[in-house]
Amino acid sequence: MSSAQLEIQLIASLVAIACAIPGTFLVLRKMAMISDAISHSILPGIVVGFFITQDLNSPLLIVLAALTGVITVVLVEQIQKTGLVKEDTAIGLVFPALFSIGVIMIAKNANDVHLDVDAVLLGELAFAPFDRLLISGVDVGPKSLWIIGSILVITVALLFAFFKELKLSTFDAGLAASLGFSPVIIHYGLMTVASVTTVGAFDAVGAILVVALMITPAASAYLLTTDLKKMLFLSIFFGVFSAISGYWVAHWLDASIAGSITTILGLLFLVVYLFAPSKGLIAVMYREKQQKIEVSLLTFLLHLKNHTEENERHVNHLREHINWQKIRAKTVVDLALKNNMITIDKHIVSLTEKGDDFTSQAIDYIITNEDAQIEDMKDDFFLFRG
Amino acid sequence: MSKKTAVQIDDLTVAYNYKPVLWDIDLEIPEGVLMAIVGPNGAGKSTLIKSVLGILKPIAGSVSIYGKSYEKQRSLVAYVPQKGSVDWDFPTTALDVVMMGTYGSLGWVKRPRQKEKKAALEALEQVGMLPFKNRQISQLSGGQQQRIFLARALVQDASIYFMDEPFQGVDATTEIAIINILKALRKANKTVIVVHHDLQTVPEYFDWVTFLNVKKIATGPVKDIFNDDNLTKTYGINYKVSIQK
Amino acid sequence: MDLLEYIELVINDYTLRTITLGTAILGAVTGMLGSFAVLRKQSLLGDAISHAALPGIALAFLLTGAKESNTLLLGALISGLIGTFWIRGIITKTHLKSDTALGLILSLFFGFGILLLTFIQKQPNANQAGLDKYLFGQAATLVESDVWLMAIVTGLCLIVLLLFWKEFKILLFDKDYANTLGFNTKTIDILITSFIVLAIVLGLQTVGVVLMSAMLLAPAAAARQWTNSLSMMVFLAALFGAFSGVFGTAISATQNNLSTGPVIVIVASVFVIFSFIFSPNRGLLFRQIRFIKNRRDLELHKTLSFMFNIAKTHENISHPHTIKILNNFQGYTKGTLKKLVDKNYVTLNGNMWSLTQEGFETASNLYNQQLKKDE
Repeated sequence: MSSAQLEIQLIASLVAIACAIPGTFLVLRKMAMISDAISHSILPGIVVGFFITQDLNSPLLIVLAALTGVITVVLVEQIQKTGLVKEDTAIGLVFPALFSIGVIMIAKNANDVHLDVDAVLLGELAFAPFDRLLISGVDVGPKSLWIIGSILVITVALLFAFFKELKLSTFDAGLAASLGFSPVIIHYGLMTVASVTTVGAFDAVGAILVVALMITPAASAYLLTTDLKKMLFLSIFFGVFSAISGYWVAHWLDASIAGSITTILGLLFLVVYLFAPSKGLIAVMYREKQQKIEVSLLTFLLHLKNHTEENERHVNHLREHINWQKIRAKTVVDLALKNNMITIDKHIVSLTEKGDDFTSQAIDYIITNEDAQIEDMKDDFFLFRG
Repeated sequence: MSKKTAVQIDDLTVAYNYKPVLWDIDLEIPEGVLMAIVGPNGAGKSTLIKSVLGILKPIAGSVSIYGKSYEKQRSLVAYVPQKGSVDWDFPTTALDVVMMGTYGSLGWVKRPRQKEKKAALEALEQVGMLPFKNRQISQLSGGQQQRIFLARALVQDASIYFMDEPFQGVDATTEIAIINILKALRKANKTVIVVHHDLQTVPEYFDWVTFLNVKKIATGPVKDIFNDDNLTKTYGINYKVSIQK
Repeated sequence: MDLLEYIELVINDYTLRTITLGTAILGAVTGMLGSFAVLRKQSLLGDAISHAALPGIALAFLLTGAKESNTLLLGALISGLIGTFWIRGIITKTHLKSDTALGLILSLFFGFGILLLTFIQKQPNANQAGLDKYLFGQAATLVESDVWLMAIVTGLCLIVLLLFWKEFKILLFDKDYANTLGFNTKTIDILITSFIVLAIVLGLQTVGVVLMSAMLLAPAAAARQWTNSLSMMVFLAALFGAFSGVFGTAISATQNNLSTGPVIVIVASVFVIFSFIFSPNRGLLFRQIRFIKNRRDLELHKTLSFMFNIAKTHENISHPHTIKILNNFQGYTKGTLKKLVDKNYVTLNGNMWSLTQEGFETASNLYNQQLKKDE
């Protein structure tokens, strides 16, 4: 591995970490699409900054572009406030307009600006090691590494300093406000960090990958845990993993690094989406099926408990009245029998003592709105699950 | 009782996300009653009428309207949803919303014509909203919006009316206007089923009542069963209202 | 170049005529369908779909080697639809919220598309020229057959819209109620969504995946401000969309180096800003004016009712009083007094004022209304 390759992977990993941290909070606060808006609308800020500084890595440019990001957020909120359009329409109106202005500014000054819209959108990580930072003539590494490194240090410092406030305002904004943590300051603080990170990362990995790196690791982590600290660690891990493996895939395919990092992120999300232990698609569908049968079982038992008269408990009547298809009825009756909840005698179904107990408890829990208890109760009563 | 049964519900069980919200409901609603469904929040009142109307799919049980399935008897049933369930900033006028009541009898593709418009105007007149027929719906007060919804159901010219909290957030004038219309419907031997919140007004407005809290607690004439015992069973700990009989 | 010359050019020049017609039709159909997207609160879905279409274009090229736009658009359509259904799957089956689902699909599909595009570029046999036009769109590459395709889809869309107008309207306004009336809302829903996806895919060649969503939203958001009727809104949105296309093409055609997509988006955004400010009913300007006028009226009423309360105590309502007693009253200024005189509610005589009969009646009406409100 050459030092350039190592540097690219290092930069990509730092970008991934710097994105994962604000991304986690954006996902939790249901503001994921704001990152998409910011990543597009910083373009005019970058162009203006470039006119002034003539250097894509200048700190002034980063400040100007980040400011455009914050302005986007403010603009979106102002439009929402007028009530003229629905919430998400405001986002959808602002960022294409600002992005278009950026594109046109670049096109009109094509001769003076060595800025390429494709590069802004897609980034070119492969070139990052060639732009070196020289301090009094000494080469101290690629500029991008220093920029994203500084942004990461600031982000981590802010995270440690305001972790409690961030956590509280994310999960209970009302309580946070009543304790004196201004939700407005935290909101704009987060937006500023997201903007600065986007700008800092864009020239390495491009605007769209920034969105992918912010949202995907956090969303994948959210399917695996709801603990904030674990979620942050998992997001960072997913981000770094995709950054490094994405680099090698790009190397092998000879294709865009940003594109392949995103693709790895996509595959990662797909795996988590399908196989996450309790919140993944397969687990959810399996549980839904199980619960459907178990709720049917409860319904069935309750019906038996409600009706003591024998004709209401005749097998044929039950099927007709509860209005189930044959297979479902059979599954339910079998499950009840296996769990010793009912007995069938001459086509008349009766509750056993255990079945009666179970049903009474279930009713109590449901009427007092403590449905969660039913799941625990099932563990106590069931020998076989649905 | 010699009266026909308008709505018959058997062993109806409904679950949201497989969490049961209505359990094994058996209910018989006779023709020509003005019935309130009462119960605490989350008791499944709206769920009950939504599953009768086929908006929600029950996991067990059956519903029949005058002895046949709802799909076959759609034209006999009208529905007034909760006012908060729609976007009132939608670009349309009061008359237009009321016209929607005629869409069901028109079926697919066919457009409303003069006849439908006339019916809609009459319904608007009935609820006292004729002067507002061309008003954008967002410029109506809460009570006026509720009356528009009621007019939309009246246009359907049904035999059974289901209403989800029609008195929620309306002014006193509207409340009186609505209850007068409901009473007129009963007089015409229509069946009206209302999800209701205000227990104080039950004896005054309704002649039939169903207590619901996940299970059916009681159902019958207000004068027989609207008492502290059933209220306590429905709402829990010693719920008492002073009822003037 | 002046306007007439330009119009002449549009009529005579084959390329320019094709582009102008193409962008106009595209603007009209996206504006029309965009109205539905906006009213269904699915504004950002368009953004996700257009980005999700990119890998479809690249895969279609990789698999068939075809460069003609219809094959590529078919690929885009399929991957756009997959993206749409996956978004639904994420929202309904997991606890991730809609914004996260949109952002995920948007960025992941797009990134995968970029991977494929860069991969294609490196292929030795790559006659890939022009695939990257789908990023920002290049109206200049439109040919007559593309315009025909757009026109056919637009025509189809119009027919469906006219046929199922009442079904669309009731689904958009009150889905549950539509269900109880016996309409299969799922069918209508799929119909609307499919047309939206189709319109987005059609626009990719002209406007590009990045900016396509604005073509859906901007004309509709502008149109909503001018009317309170759904049919008028759809019509206006189509009109604004078409004009954005025509003006945008004109501007970019007469300047060097400007892709059409961004210019069309800017023109559409100008429509939005103008509508937000100047629409008579909802616009911010008139809202502000009404606000100021109401406050003035309120002051006028205050002064009038104060005078009324004084005049009431006298047998003769037009008994003159000195202006001085008004001075300690808030609503009173020289301006309000002059207005009252202009309206013929009050007559002035030196530094004495007296209410006219008309003024007295107006004031007593106001007074009674106030009483009613308090009740």
